[in-house]
Amino acid sequence: MLKINKRLFKNFDWITFSLIITLSIIGIITIYSATKPPLDGGHPDFYTKQMLWLLISVAALFIVAAIDYIWIYRFSYPIYIAGLLMLAAVLIAGKTAMGAERWLSIGPISFQPVEFFKVFFIIAFSAYLANNHLAGKIPVKSLFIFALLPFILLIKQPHLGGAMLVVSLFVILSILKGINRKIITTVLAISIISIPFVSHIFWEGLKDYQKNRLVAFMDPSIDPSGIGYHINQSKITIGSGGVFGKGYLQGTQGPLRFLPEKHTDFIFSVFAEEWGFIGSLLLMGIYLMLFLRGLDTAARAKDEFGRLVATGITAMFFIYFCINIGMTLGIMPVVGMPLPFMSYGGTALLANFIAAGILINIRTRRFELFYP
Amino acid sequence: MKKRAAILSIVIAFGFFAVAFRLVDIMLLSHERFSAKAKNQQTVEETIPAKRGIIFDRKGRELAINVKTESVFIDPRMVTSSERVAFALSDALGIKSDRILSSMDTNRRFVWVERKLPLEQTRSIRELNISGIGIVSESKRFYPKGPLASHIIGFVNIDKKGLEGIERRYDKYLTAMGENANVFRDARGNILSEGFMREIRGNNLFLTIDEGLQYILEKNLDEAIVHWQAASATAIMMNPHTGEILAMANRPTFNPNDPQASKASDRRNRAITDGYEPGSTFKIIAGVAALEEGIVKPDTKFDCTAGFIEVSGKKIRDARRHTHKVLTFTEAIQKSSNVGIVKIAQSLGIDKMYEYINRFGFGQRTGIDLVGEIAGMVRPPERWSGVSIGFISIGYEILVTPLQILRAYSAIANGGFLVRPHVVSEIHSPNGEILYRAAPEAQRIISENTARVFREVLKTVTEEEGTALKAAVDGNQVAGKTGTAQLVDPETNRHSNERHVSSFVGFVPVEEPKIAMIVVIHEPKGESYGGRVAGPVFRKIASESLSYMNVPREDYRERGLLLVRD
Repeated sequence: MLKINKRLFKNFDWITFSLIITLSIIGIITIYSATKPPLDGGHPDFYTKQMLWLLISVAALFIVAAIDYIWIYRFSYPIYIAGLLMLAAVLIAGKTAMGAERWLSIGPISFQPVEFFKVFFIIAFSAYLANNHLAGKIPVKSLFIFALLPFILLIKQPHLGGAMLVVSLFVILSILKGINRKIITTVLAISIISIPFVSHIFWEGLKDYQKNRLVAFMDPSIDPSGIGYHINQSKITIGSGGVFGKGYLQGTQGPLRFLPEKHTDFIFSVFAEEWGFIGSLLLMGIYLMLFLRGLDTAARAKDEFGRLVATGITAMFFIYFCINIGMTLGIMPVVGMPLPFMSYGGTALLANFIAAGILINIRTRRFELFYP
Repeated sequence: MKKRAAILSIVIAFGFFAVAFRLVDIMLLSHERFSAKAKNQQTVEETIPAKRGIIFDRKGRELAINVKTESVFIDPRMVTSSERVAFALSDALGIKSDRILSSMDTNRRFVWVERKLPLEQTRSIRELNISGIGIVSESKRFYPKGPLASHIIGFVNIDKKGLEGIERRYDKYLTAMGENANVFRDARGNILSEGFMREIRGNNLFLTIDEGLQYILEKNLDEAIVHWQAASATAIMMNPHTGEILAMANRPTFNPNDPQASKASDRRNRAITDGYEPGSTFKIIAGVAALEEGIVKPDTKFDCTAGFIEVSGKKIRDARRHTHKVLTFTEAIQKSSNVGIVKIAQSLGIDKMYEYINRFGFGQRTGIDLVGEIAGMVRPPERWSGVSIGFISIGYEILVTPLQILRAYSAIANGGFLVRPHVVSEIHSPNGEILYRAAPEAQRIISENTARVFREVLKTVTEEEGTALKAAVDGNQVAGKTGTAQLVDPETNRHSNERHVSSFVGFVPVEEPKIAMIVVIHEPKGESYGGRVAGPVFRKIASESLSYMNVPREDYRERGLLLVRD
């Protein structure tokens, strides 16, 4: 099962690895600045916790990358069932935080199962699609198992962002497989392209209380009256950065507590305030390289499963990125999606590293023969 | 397959373009606007606390100081939950929550909730840490001695603007102009500028008032007003040579720490704001004038056996039988004979009488550095009736303030000078630099000899046969004069036989006067003679004050006492 040899090491995708490590370190540096107290006083230990989680995540990445992904393929359904059970467990025994049950505790460790579930979902659904010749149609049974069931479980938490993400990934992977290609391709392309614009125009056209109602309808876990404030403060934070930014540790919006969720969902705002427009473009460049590398990995995958999984993971990162950055810029509704690799949060970081590990795995083994 | 991957790449590229465009808009095109917004919400223009100057007595004892308090305000734009703010504040401060809720319904950034609270009360609000509630420190004026000298010191309003007394008269010296500075604050309204706070202080005032003498005077005034069940009372103690007011008080009085609790009439400094007909204390004007003009000598005799004198057909009577005889000039003053004084005034004539009334400063403000002083009322001779010279010479048909009478007697005490009474001796800058020092202003109005002779005349008042034996101080001779004036009954518009103003004015010790003092008691019950009502009050205050001031007994040598100087 584990075959660590010289060739594997040589073929290891160091580029993807260094991109996500760079993002994670930028993340920790920014978390440090965002949580800096305005006057002298104790510095909250968010950044040290995140450093610890980064070490764990890197270790997890190497383990995932070292296992031949054929084993992941072989265990994809049990993994998926485990994922569904975790989601069900959250509904029964979950801990409530900010109005939503998202956390599950095993002994002293608390984690958000949805972070792992989305990776398991990509694996299992890719395996299903790769395994069957569907000829443009998906059976109702599969539609239920891979779309409706996880959607219901996530909506019940409630975790609108997670539910939307799973549905999006379902659609993207279905298109890649060639299901109803003409119709779905057009609809998806139009909808994704129009998200930043249509939602923006739609959003601005609404009255405040309507926006609040809409957001409250979509995700009641967010305090409706705080929505306008969040977006406004985020725009002020980013806008006051200017071309070159205020300089590291010179940001004021986070430490003065004007910007909410400064080290989690709105970490990009803090980064933009301190590093300016140029820093923000460079950061986006790193993300763009990561996504293009992911698509390239998918294109070079030696089998359909690898291709689907690599695309799914890349799409997941991209959706997270778009929604999070769009939210901080006020062109997406606030739905509580973290910025991959940068936002504070141990479970998300670990899950993203595991997903990246699978990407690296697929790329590393693109030359190996595959005997199912 | 390739086509689908290409579409995904295009989607990603498009997402990046959308984000990049938005970044250009927010970070480059709207940078100025967002920067201004950030600055606007992160900084708050705060007035650097200005501390009003301190008021000290002549020996550096604090009469008006500042205490640290905190004021609570709401920034309605920062309020996330109006109900929470209203509930917390009404709970902590005991204000109705409706009032707080309605005060938040405004576009302003700043709404006071409650000002100048003790620090213990604001601590609990601070601990709640609710967004939109702010606390600033403000100093509050505090009068540590309570009502003591309240009519002199006055008081300030909530914005520390002087409304009465020294606080008002010297407001521009005491006030420190606060400066504005931009300080950082966080989203919850907390000010984040430790260690940078400067402080601006006003100038300090040193009064001529002596807290010890003021206490002695007020204590005795309190006793007198209770004893005589009087309507009101005033006493002033002054250094007759310089015009420095050593103590000044009125009853009723008020507490300057809570001026709202008192009636406006209680806050009036009657010593300078209220005119009255002085009665016999005014008799010295005619007497001094006649001496100065050489019309009389102390032993000049006047026939007063009739007990009355007719002036323009009106009879002016003497109050008591024992003056119904031939009196010397000295005796006429000593026994306060109306007939004798009227005769002296008649020999003086209207013009000279009027001239001396003016010389002694009646009908003019004394110029004391307090607010609300009146000039009194002296009619010009054209408007005098035939009987006026008689009535005016014995202290009727004229309105004076207690301070004007005291100043006239001080001129006799100090050898003939009219002084300017004042209560502020020095103004010090916050660094201790002297900005102002009161210089005694004095103007000769009578000769030194006349003053000296008249001192001897006034000395007899407190001796045997005088009207004010009860004003005599053991150990030091008092020169002075009693006054018992009938009040005008507002119903009949005639002088009442029941309502009187009793007064005693004088100075002590006679040869080297240290203090000049007047005691005026309005409407004492049961007794009206100035010598019996105001005289004992004068004696007690003078006696305690002289020992407080370490003035030795005049007879210390005869008694074999050893004089110890500090």
